[in-house]
Amino acid sequence: MSTSPRQRPSLDVVLAGAAVVGLVVIVVAVLLSQAGKTLYPPAAATDSAIEIRKLYDIVFAFAVAIFLLVEGLIVWSVIRYRRKPTDTELPVQTHGHNLLEVTWTVIPTIIVIILFVFSFNTLNVVDAVSPTPDVKIRAVAAQFQWTFEYLDSSGQKLFTQTVSTKDNGGGMAVPVGRKIQVELHSNDVIHAFYVPRFLFKRDVVPGMTNRFDFTVNADEAGQTFRGQCAELCGTGHRIMLLDVVAMTQADYDAWVEQMIAQANATPAPQPSGEPSVTLELTAKIAEFDKHELEAPADKPFAITLDNQDVPAIEHDVDIHDADGNVVFDEPHTVGGTSQTYLYGPLPAGTYTFICSVHPFPAMTGTLTVK
Amino acid sequence: MTADSHALATVEHSPVAGLAHDQRGGISNPVLGMLLFITSEVMFFAGLFAAYFNARASNAPWPPTEFEHTLEPIGLILVATIILVSSSFTCQWAVNAIKRNDRKMFIRNISVTLVLGVVFLLLQGYDYTVLYGEGLTMTAGPFGTTYFTLTGFHGAHVFGGVIMLAVVVYRGMAGQFSDRHHDLVEAVSLYWHFVDVVWIVLYSVLYWL
Amino acid sequence: MATHALTPAVTAGYRGGLYEWLTTTDHKRIGILYVINSFAFFFIAGLMALAVRAELAQPGLQLLTDEHLYNQLFTMHATLMIFLFIIPMLAGLGNFAVPLQIGAPDMAFPRINALSFWMLPLAGVLLLAGFVTGGAAAAGWTSYPPLTEDRPLASTGSGQDLWIVGVVLIGTSSILGAINFLVTIFKMRAPGMTLFRMPIMVWTMLVTSVLVMLATPVITSALIMLFIDRNLGGNFFDPATGGNAVLYQNVFWFYSHPAVYVMVLPAMGIISEVLPVFSRKPLFGYKAFVFATAGIGALGFSVWAHHMFTTGAVFLPFFALITFMISVPTGVKMFNWVATLWGGQLTFSTPLIFAIGFLTMFLIGGINGAFSAAVPVDFALHDTYWVVAHLHYVLFGGSVFGVFAGVYYWFPKMTGRLLDEGLGKIHFVLMFVGFNLTFFPMHMLGLAGMPRRIADYASSAGWNDWNLAATIGGFMIGASFVPFLWNVFVSLRNGKVAGDDPWEGNTLEWATSSPPPPYNFDHLPEIRSERPVFDLRHGREAGGSH
Repeated sequence: MSTSPRQRPSLDVVLAGAAVVGLVVIVVAVLLSQAGKTLYPPAAATDSAIEIRKLYDIVFAFAVAIFLLVEGLIVWSVIRYRRKPTDTELPVQTHGHNLLEVTWTVIPTIIVIILFVFSFNTLNVVDAVSPTPDVKIRAVAAQFQWTFEYLDSSGQKLFTQTVSTKDNGGGMAVPVGRKIQVELHSNDVIHAFYVPRFLFKRDVVPGMTNRFDFTVNADEAGQTFRGQCAELCGTGHRIMLLDVVAMTQADYDAWVEQMIAQANATPAPQPSGEPSVTLELTAKIAEFDKHELEAPADKPFAITLDNQDVPAIEHDVDIHDADGNVVFDEPHTVGGTSQTYLYGPLPAGTYTFICSVHPFPAMTGTLTVK
Repeated sequence: MTADSHALATVEHSPVAGLAHDQRGGISNPVLGMLLFITSEVMFFAGLFAAYFNARASNAPWPPTEFEHTLEPIGLILVATIILVSSSFTCQWAVNAIKRNDRKMFIRNISVTLVLGVVFLLLQGYDYTVLYGEGLTMTAGPFGTTYFTLTGFHGAHVFGGVIMLAVVVYRGMAGQFSDRHHDLVEAVSLYWHFVDVVWIVLYSVLYWL
Repeated sequence: MATHALTPAVTAGYRGGLYEWLTTTDHKRIGILYVINSFAFFFIAGLMALAVRAELAQPGLQLLTDEHLYNQLFTMHATLMIFLFIIPMLAGLGNFAVPLQIGAPDMAFPRINALSFWMLPLAGVLLLAGFVTGGAAAAGWTSYPPLTEDRPLASTGSGQDLWIVGVVLIGTSSILGAINFLVTIFKMRAPGMTLFRMPIMVWTMLVTSVLVMLATPVITSALIMLFIDRNLGGNFFDPATGGNAVLYQNVFWFYSHPAVYVMVLPAMGIISEVLPVFSRKPLFGYKAFVFATAGIGALGFSVWAHHMFTTGAVFLPFFALITFMISVPTGVKMFNWVATLWGGQLTFSTPLIFAIGFLTMFLIGGINGAFSAAVPVDFALHDTYWVVAHLHYVLFGGSVFGVFAGVYYWFPKMTGRLLDEGLGKIHFVLMFVGFNLTFFPMHMLGLAGMPRRIADYASSAGWNDWNLAATIGGFMIGASFVPFLWNVFVSLRNGKVAGDDPWEGNTLEWATSSPPPPYNFDHLPEIRSERPVFDLRHGREAGGSH
């Protein structure tokens, strides 16, 4: 160790100090910048999400502080204590220091207990399940699609939303500002219901019924929150998407009425008449074998769907127009079977044929009618 | 000043084998190794028992009504239990005998232990056929699966023990054990007692509880 | 008084050809075999990771149009890394070092030692055989039922069964190894080496071995029960037949959580050897290290359900509290390591550089783990790329950097040659930069909502840039192996001769030749502290009281 009189700090100390300051500056700069936003979860869309975000912020603050402290010490030591040619004698052989050991045991213990208490309080809010929610939905997970059964207060099913994503005219519609209770049911293996903007997920375990409550913030009316299955469930895990569609109370009520009417309505008469042409389409591992089909204009036509997947996987062939409106909504075909869909005459134009159960990414294509 | 390496001091076979009898005293390496191995086997059965108790707690009634009287504690299985427990006694007598260099009693007792172990396995096998006849199989719900998994792995361990006892009998008859050299006998006897204790727990839980 | 330079009758360098290596029971050779086998599987599993990253670089299925193949790749990547790379690598380094460090001539059961090793390549073949028998296991290394039950759309096929058998074989190898370590450490220490004079490496191997011995049999039971469900009509885990899916998770994680300490404690032991030597100071807080290691081992058995927070079947407050608490002994170690550097005289040889890399990476990994301990935050982060970031920061940034510190540190002792410092530093820089470029963005991806184990993602989700960055980083990591392997090959032939003690080490392995003779020591120095070779070199006065 140096024995010269202290006049100014040695080069090592200056460099080490500069490096530590540099570390702090970099970290703070990142946090304050645009890039720093990516270190936080997305904007919270529900009451529980807001609580979880508050907890995240607390943990984050401690995390940054501890990182700067410990990494600062490492950076300092690495620069300040490099062995120099003048270091021929051993440095002081400190074996330990009991007070330090106690200090750096007790203080972290206090910190983690504080974090635990915050977590416990937040958990009680987030996990609370009400006996009287405003809306009850049973989310049914199966390989590889979500369906949503809307229930009345006694648990009876009012109607089923079979299309899980907004792009295809579906999604799990909910009113903002009301307590929604989701009951999770699996038809086969373990799945997980995950919506990133809710900062929340819950496993869907066969043999168990998990439940959770949430209330979408009032200012999110009109927003769509994407979600997907978050527990590996097989070869279609990546396509098990869902959307939660937030509506004003009025829009939601209208939607519910419409869905109930559809569920109770007598089925529309099937298009009659001989099909002018019968197209063939095969569905396997959640993909169609063709992505371009042609049909003549103004005449009925048919599509025979051969569903070569296993019985649990259902497909259909809906037709959408160029604006995305559903023109023909067909019933599902059970895996291992074929079904011929008869469509009424369509005016010439470009349409989309799509499986409403697995709209993304590959179960769709272009139908050219001319 | 350098310490003399005791590692090379007392050598009978190889430098490493000599260390089996640590000059510090205490149990020998093979016996310590066997105790640790037994500990790991206890944890294996612990996992199976956890599954059993979980299945039991989640499925009422237990036993299921169709198997209400299938696992009767008084019967053939009690005979098998008495035989296995007795074999632990004969095993321990064998160990005590070799410790005082009484080779004859050692061979006699360890052979009886081996025979009793084989008889236990035969009785268990016969009992399985009786249970199959009553419809209790591996596929008979969690009740059947847990029963056969637990008793089956116990039986496998008994079988392993029987093999080890056979080796001890063989080497014993070849005169390889004495009051100074009997680590293997001690180790195998510890394993045999473990197998016995597991059975007592199994029998109590599966049949009585 | 100087260390005796030994001139054993057996010259440096390993005599004997293939037959000697195949039949050896010498712990030093077995340790080297473990290291070589582990690196081979590191390479194979690494290639699988690069395939995964290549697919995920951009949205859309480009390379692996079969999602089933993708699922096999990430399943086998994790399985090989955990069971055939990191756990045996650390066991192998321990195999080499522990008898030397305690002054013993070999392990307690040399033939069982050899058996433990040879079970590993066999198990590896079984695991990989799935790829050619209709598909390897593809349900994640965690293999949750009912996905792994034998039914349509689940994991029919022999790949999953081969996986079960392979992992059970590896578990057996581990348990035998653990028993070997424990008997060796308890019974074969040289005179004067009390428990509290053992190197920390030996302490970590001791606690690791206790964990292996107590925990591994439990996963054996879980996998055997799964095998029975799949093949013998069992009813353990399938709710459709009266079983319980969450039961598997509990039994599985009861092992797999202590397993992560098996994967990191010996690496911490290596760090605890390297930092003092290259700082020229003793390890700060030796006793605290011992108690912290034991504490981590004990607490590690009580936190398993933190992997199951989102199942709805866990008593959350208990597991959250203990999970938070386990960061305390880990923090104690971190502070003690930094205090070892503080006031020292640091020589930046490659082992020290990797050790310092370990400190930073493990710090980040420990901190991001704390987020998951806060249960409601875990509801957002579980099963997303956040967890992938966390596990790689502790297991790669931590354990693998620790492994490399150990490899660079002990290579001279194993082979008698020094590795080239320049190539070592290039290796470090490439690996360090590549590692952070790969895994830091995964924090962002997890926060933004990208789940794990998906073969593809929608372009509209906004995850494209971070995924591309992670892929570039991954290939950088791959590239970093070139200077390392080149270094090994060149140094084996032409490296500088190392001599007994190239680093001015503290512990007994540096008191014998490089490589040591088969029986390890001709003479042992007097053992009066945890640094017997340091004491020999400097005399006891400079070493301070002990």
